Amino acid sequence: MKPCRGAVAGAIVLLAVLQFLASPPARAEYGDVLINKRSEKEGMRPVVFPHWFHRIRFRCKVCHNELGFKMRAGGNDVLMVDIIEGKFCGMCHNGQIAWSPENCDLCHSGKPGLQTKIFGSHQTGGPGRW
Amino acid sequence: MNRRTIGLIAAGALGLAGGGAALADGKTVFETNCVACHGSGVAGAPKMGDAAAWAPRIKAGQAALYESALKGKKGMPAKGGNPAISDADVKAAVDYMVAQSGGKGGGDKAAEKAPEKAAGKPAPKEAAVPAKPAAPEKAAETPKPAPAPAPAPTQVAAAKPAAAPISPAAEVNAFNRLLKPAGKRNLPPTQDGIHDPANDGTQLLQPPMEAFKILPRSPGGNGVNWVQALESNKIAPRYDKADPNAAPVVMDLNIVREVKGSMPDVVYPHKQHTEWLDCSNCHPAIFVPQKGANQISMAAILLGQKCGVCHGKVAFPVSECRLCHSKKKDTITTGAAK
Ligand code: HEC
Ligand code: HEC
Ligand code: HEC
Ligand code: HEC
Ligand code: HEC
Ligand code: HEC
Ligand code: HEC
Repeated sequence: MKPCRGAVAGAIVLLAVLQFLASPPARAEYGDVLINKRSEKEGMRPVVFPHWFHRIRFRCKVCHNELGFKMRAGGNDVLMVDIIEGKFCGMCHNGQIAWSPENCDLCHSGKPGLQTKIFGSHQTGGPGRW
Repeated sequence: MNRRTIGLIAAGALGLAGGGAALADGKTVFETNCVACHGSGVAGAPKMGDAAAWAPRIKAGQAALYESALKGKKGMPAKGGNPAISDADVKAAVDYMVAQSGGKGGGDKAAEKAPEKAAGKPAPKEAAVPAKPAAPEKAAETPKPAPAPAPAPTQVAAAKPAAAPISPAAEVNAFNRLLKPAGKRNLPPTQDGIHDPANDGTQLLQPPMEAFKILPRSPGGNGVNWVQALESNKIAPRYDKADPNAAPVVMDLNIVREVKGSMPDVVYPHKQHTEWLDCSNCHPAIFVPQKGANQISMAAILLGQKCGVCHGKVAFPVSECRLCHSKKKDTITTGAAK
């Protein structure tokens, strides 16, 4: 980590977040879940979970029934030790079904400052179209 | 539609499509590195599109602007604070900002650069994402067919004079204010607004369009018709975490929900749902398993309840009325039967 550049980057990111909240509608892919219950407090970027990517490979049932993920953004209390021990994302991201938890920055790839939520809903960013 | 409108739309389309190669490059750099300040004009930064704020700066000449952008100037950090961007990319971003803010310098520059770019680099817009080749997906992203290298520069040159003077107005009075144009959907992770482009891992993630271009499309949500994708075996999602051969327990039971008024009735199909989901995902927490026992309304759905638990979040969104309201009312009595 280069601390100097980190500070500048941090400032820029903060501005970017202000900008993000201020006007433009989120352009995130439909169904992406941002998880930031603990990550940022613990000095990591928030986690981005892409539904589209996983549903090409698994039915909803695998995660939301077999593996027991609650269908609510932020509804699961995920600790990193749990993942490394093979729970939550770690049930697959264990080096066997999918790459292992040491690839921190593939999961912790979110923009700092964003809150836990799912990016779905209306494409217009305005109210329903009817 | 008058000629000016057509010109505007054509210019807009070019800006998004591969035809505006040199501009697209600058646009990407701008959107990832400069928009934080120049998008809204924080910290005294001249706002993109604000011709008045840019005019005096543009007068100083393109070289002076490059210099400020590369080395910094008062509130403007060198290279926008990201030393990792190449000089050429910073210049491209300056060109883009100037072209969008009433200046011509960027435009001329872009036109000059276009031939070399179009011939040499297949996907200049994706240059920042080295991990995955994304050239073909660009064509799919925009309705425009991939431009042949030769005519592209002339198109840029032809569109430019019309685009430059009216672009500030175009920003405000864009044809679609809220509806996302095709080019703004399924953006790669570096541009989607929730991934941190400064994170190394972000570059390795798959851009959605790369996966979606072989799948049947639909207007809403991801822009993918997931039901057809599954039926046509374009995707083979596992039903079991580890066993690729486990087959889903599919139940074929349609439930017709009559709707008051003129909207077609809703057919709720168990088949398409049990392809993806387990009974316990819906029963009994979301729906009591008994026909007509559940109060469902559009208001509830829009609030994220009932069908709205999934539709509008992961499954296709509410805008696709006809997928749910699929049963035409054939007689007047059906309406009264409720
Ligand atoms: C690879 C695992 C996985 C698969 C497959 C998956 N999900 Fe999810 N889903 C998650 C995770 C993780 C969350 C976020 C939970 C959290 O934040 O604690 C989530 C959250 C949700 C939510 C909650 C959104 C909200 O309103 O807060 C819904 C609804 C949902 N998923 C529906 C689906 C549907 C429908 C499918 C199938 C098309 C599906 N999921 C497939 C892992 C998965
Ligand atoms: C498979 C995806 C994934 C990978 C890989 C991953 N994490 Fe996480 N991590 C998560 C999720 C999900 C959470 C919960 C996020 C939250 O609640 O904010 C989390 C939470 C955390 C937290 C905060 C919670 C706690 O337990 O303290 C830390 C710190 C953390 N991760 C560090 C790491 C480090 C370091 C690595 C690399 C060795 C890593 N993570 C790799 C998914 C991942
Ligand atoms: C941290 C906020 C910030 C970021 C990020 C930023 N700028 Fe600036 N920029 C400014 C400010 C403030 C000024 C006004 C400087 C002044 O007082 O003349 C400015 C001015 C400029 C000027 C005009 C300079 C002149 O000589 O008049 C150019 C060109 C420019 N920025 C380009 C860029 C480019 C290209 C990027 C992205 C790579 C970028 N900026 C990112 C804050 C920023
Ligand atoms: C049911 C198994 C499963 C679960 C649970 C799961 N994943 Fe994955 N994930 C996969 C597979 C398989 C891949 C593809 C691995 C590969 O490309 O080699 C993947 C890939 C990814 C990718 C990379 C996508 C890309 O663009 O290449 C991310 C990010 C990711 N998972 C995050 C998560 C997070 C965060 C969680 C927990 C909230 C999670 N995953 C839970 C199976 C799972
Ligand atoms: C996506 C959510 C969902 C899933 C998954 C689902 N159902 Fe249903 N089910 C419904 C809805 C909605 C109704 C209609 C309730 C109403 O009309 O009030 C229903 C109704 C029923 C009924 C009542 C039919 C009648 O004529 O009274 C039965 C029985 C039933 N479901 C069984 C199942 C079984 C068994 C499974 C798993 C194989 C399953 N359901 C999976 C949503 C679901
Ligand atoms: C637990 C999540 C969930 C709930 C609740 C749910 N759906 Fe779905 N639905 C899905 C998924 C996943 C698909 C697959 C298509 C997709 O993802 O876009 C789907 C597909 C459908 C389709 C098939 C469209 C086609 O192209 O054939 C219809 C119709 C539908 N849903 C109607 C409803 C109605 C009406 C309700 C409420 C009574 C409802 N759904 C509740 C998850 C859900
Ligand atoms: C996910 C499936 C789904 C989609 C998409 C959907 N509806 Fe509905 N709609 C329903 C259900 C279920 C009901 C309740 C039927 C009943 O009374 O049992 C309903 C009821 C209605 C009603 C009756 C009044 C009310 O609020 O109950 C109207 C009007 C209506 N929908 C209009 C629309 C329009 C317009 C759209 C498109 C913008 C739309 N719906 C999209 C599922 C859907």
